[in-house]
Amino acid sequence: MKLIGLSLKGLRRDLRAADVRALFVALMLAVAATTMIGFFLDRLDRGLTRQAGQLLGGDLVLEQGRPFDGELRQALRDAGLRLSDQVDLVSMVSQADAFQPAGLKVVDDHYPLYGRVRVDRGNGIEALDHGPRPGHAWIAPRLAQLLDVKLGDSVQVGTLALTISGLIDREPDQQAGFAGLTPRIMLNLADLDATGLVRPGSRIEYELLAAGPSAAVDSLSGRLDELRDAGVEVRDVRVDRPSLGRSLERAQKYLSLAGLAAVLLAGVAVAMATRRYVDRHLDTAALLRCFGASQRQLGQLFAWQLGWLGLAAAVIGALLGLAGQAALLALLVRFLPLELPPPGWLPWLMGILTALAVLIGFAGPTLLRLRRVSALKVLRRELDPIPVAGWLVVAVASLVFGALLWLYSGDALLSLGTLLGGLVALVVLWGVGQLLLSLLLGVLARLPQGNGGHAWRLGGRQLARRRQASLGQLLAFAVTFAAMAIIVLVRGDLLTTWQAQLPANTPNYFAINIQPQERDGVETLIEEAADSASGLYPMVRGRLTAIDGRPPSEMVPEEHRNDGALRRDLNLTWRGSLPQGNRITAGEWFGAGASQTIDGAVPISVEEELADRLGLSLGDRLTFTIGSDTVTGEITSLRHLDWESFQPNFFIIFPPGALEGFGHSYITSFHLPDASNAMLGEMVRQYPGVSILNVEALLEQVRGILGQVTRAVEFVLGFVLLAGVSVLYAALTASRPARAHEGALLRVFGAGDRMLSRMQWAEFALLGFASGLLGAVLAELAAVGIYAWLGLTPRLHWLLWATMPPVGALAIGIIGFTLSRGTRRQAPMASLRLLGET
Amino acid sequence: MSHSSENQQARILHASGLGKRVKNGERELVILEALSLHVDRGESVAIVGSSGAGKSTLLGLLAGLDMPSSGELEMFGQSLRALDEDGRAALRAGRVGFVFQNFQLLPTLTAMENVMLPLELSPRQDVTAKSRQWLERVGLGGRLDHLPKQLSGGEQQRVAVARAFVTEPDLVFADEPTGNLDETTGKRIIDLLFELNREAGTTLVLVTHDLALARRCDRCLQLEGGALHAIERRTGVGV
Repeated sequence: MKLIGLSLKGLRRDLRAADVRALFVALMLAVAATTMIGFFLDRLDRGLTRQAGQLLGGDLVLEQGRPFDGELRQALRDAGLRLSDQVDLVSMVSQADAFQPAGLKVVDDHYPLYGRVRVDRGNGIEALDHGPRPGHAWIAPRLAQLLDVKLGDSVQVGTLALTISGLIDREPDQQAGFAGLTPRIMLNLADLDATGLVRPGSRIEYELLAAGPSAAVDSLSGRLDELRDAGVEVRDVRVDRPSLGRSLERAQKYLSLAGLAAVLLAGVAVAMATRRYVDRHLDTAALLRCFGASQRQLGQLFAWQLGWLGLAAAVIGALLGLAGQAALLALLVRFLPLELPPPGWLPWLMGILTALAVLIGFAGPTLLRLRRVSALKVLRRELDPIPVAGWLVVAVASLVFGALLWLYSGDALLSLGTLLGGLVALVVLWGVGQLLLSLLLGVLARLPQGNGGHAWRLGGRQLARRRQASLGQLLAFAVTFAAMAIIVLVRGDLLTTWQAQLPANTPNYFAINIQPQERDGVETLIEEAADSASGLYPMVRGRLTAIDGRPPSEMVPEEHRNDGALRRDLNLTWRGSLPQGNRITAGEWFGAGASQTIDGAVPISVEEELADRLGLSLGDRLTFTIGSDTVTGEITSLRHLDWESFQPNFFIIFPPGALEGFGHSYITSFHLPDASNAMLGEMVRQYPGVSILNVEALLEQVRGILGQVTRAVEFVLGFVLLAGVSVLYAALTASRPARAHEGALLRVFGAGDRMLSRMQWAEFALLGFASGLLGAVLAELAAVGIYAWLGLTPRLHWLLWATMPPVGALAIGIIGFTLSRGTRRQAPMASLRLLGET
Repeated sequence: MSHSSENQQARILHASGLGKRVKNGERELVILEALSLHVDRGESVAIVGSSGAGKSTLLGLLAGLDMPSSGELEMFGQSLRALDEDGRAALRAGRVGFVFQNFQLLPTLTAMENVMLPLELSPRQDVTAKSRQWLERVGLGGRLDHLPKQLSGGEQQRVAVARAFVTEPDLVFADEPTGNLDETTGKRIIDLLFELNREAGTTLVLVTHDLALARRCDRCLQLEGGALHAIERRTGVGV
């Protein structure tokens, strides 16, 4: 207890020291950055899961062709889930002479489990937490238009007449897809029997929606597997959540990367500040040994002292992080398409863990030196304990950083790879650094005599004299600059990629069900009003019924036998040229005139992820059943396509000539500026069979999230830059006494302030220049791996090579020069006394 | 060796056949050889010698800060050879005080905090009161919160003296206590040192090259050629 009190007192006294402040700031920044990112990602992730649950209709959705039994319901309720029943079917609805196929969504009184239905019941759009009452129907405005009905009219569904009491603006569980393309009519489950639509042979999907904690869903995993085996379609929100795709995944990866960069930078700062801290406390330790303290007591004393510092930095850092993410979200609230849950506890824990890990990893080995101080040092100053071996410091720090990498990424292999790569890079850099220093000094030696050249030469010689220390600083600064540069580079490329991905004229409407005879008319309408269009793609629906002549269920890997692509009809198209945005990843695109068959099969191109899931490769033969016919294709290419492009995308593409004989319709996507909405009415009037899908909302959502994440990225970038500056500060603080000493000696020998200033400036600038150059090498090397990880296209960054050395020279020059101002002003006597040499 | 006798309690330091050699490349350098000494409770002993005679080495050995190459050494009746570094530290704790030539004050600690340091290692409650009391004794009652750099050399050494006596030690070692001070200030410090020593009944072992200062001790020994010789006897104590 005594030691704990003493350590606290010691720390309080120590707060006057620059190195302790540098340690504190570095740790605080590391924790602030990681917790801010942690809080943000945690909330975003939970928000997205919640939103996904809403889109799916529940956390767990079961679907089959017959009603669910009571025993299953009870089991789900017992597990702690709330339930809601829903029935989906397609049927004709009519009003007077008008008939129209509509998608019936029959809901019970518990609907919706998540979110609200936006409906216009005659008083503008309201958000309601229930569906239509018995005897009532809510319909999509398009259906109202097609049937020419309005609120209060009646509509015939099967044998039942229902009153139209609402126009649906948005359903909470509306999935963006092409499954429910028929316009919506929503009615109450109590009315279902009276419609007479439930007959043997009707195609009806019964859905059981369940909402509740994920632990409840987990507890049912055995039961869910049995259901899957029995042919029930089971959707778990955590597995089947409709993802916002790679953009968000990239952003999350980027933020984690930035957080880790901040941790690494803070670690470097901590390592440098600790060296100075230990140097400064050698006398204290020796004195305490003199006064009778044991090694153990000394070790504990300093460990406690830094432990308190770490804890304080962690708490303040975590609060900063919390405030940071709150500020971030406050700024972004209007861009948020999500309702975010409150901050969780995990980021707090991770923040404190990070601070302690950084402290142990980056300061621990150096701190051991204090334990080994001999009491005799009080009589003989030169008796400093041997510094801890550089390799040990680097090894322990790397190990801890690797563990943090693992903790944050959850990917052991990636962490190990990064770690080993980093270590190899450090060894190489050490060699390159040596070379670079020698080279610089060689160049300086050839500088012409004269006042300016003299200062540069002297500055260079200073660097050379402390070769090992200079190399250490050089490496630390290079790593710092590289980490900062990577975060800046990746940010730029990420934002460019996003902007390129969703340009202003990204299609916001899809038109489908365009019949061949309507094709030209629709195309003309779109061309006149839209400012961009994807062109029309033919679409044939066919089911995959054989792979290499055998049933798919025998050929597909076991875990994908329930894949949606096997259960439903797939959209097939034909096309002579590779669609825009598609990329061949294996095999070759069939050229023009490739419709010739290869032993009775036509060449086809398959999307790579589908091929991967179904275990398909080049040369496999797929048989599709289209109506009553079959067509067989041989895979001659695999394609990568961008699902977020808002273009019509196809899993399977045939060459022209293979599918034309089958019944087909066309699909297209286009961008319509708001003002041209009249065209939609025109289209519906002229071509009532064509379905128009508005994806503006989805597009806005993706844009909103990207915008939000962009700001997060920029915010975090700021933190990383701050962490970088803290490294520079810590490093230069650490070397200040030695520089002060040299300065004082030179002053004693007659160097003037002007000379000293120039010399120090030269020394820092040289160090910065070399670090910048080395940092550019490191950043470019690391970028190759990081870009691959993020799925960005690697490129050479010329600007980096041009700017890093001069920026490094300027940054280190300014900070170092400013920090040494005090020592230049000090009388030589004071500087020398500082080192106990008088 | 008139003190080979009875009263173990009275014997503070006892050294016999003490030697210190250091390796310098291939050569072995003999700093101290077969040196014997004992110091009784309440005595003040000065060790004088020219620069490089090994005074500081001897002081380090006597205080248990370093280990001899040969010979035996006892402090407070306990053989130092039988103890490891931590054991020797524990033996010093609270019982040995130090005054150094370069003061050895910690620059980030105030005068008060510097004096408190040795007390804080022991389980005492009266750390603050005791430290203030000793700083007042050395005439620095008004400078408690000053940092070393805000104090003159003489004032700094007075803080060091207060720190040496604050634990009420049995034994105080002083290594060239006036080495960094001008003559007048040095004299004041020495007066203070002897005054406190007398009042507290502390044993004082002082290393100096200043003969005038040495003569104020009960005994004065010269270190030369690695061995000790008595240069003056005032109280009948011998080498």
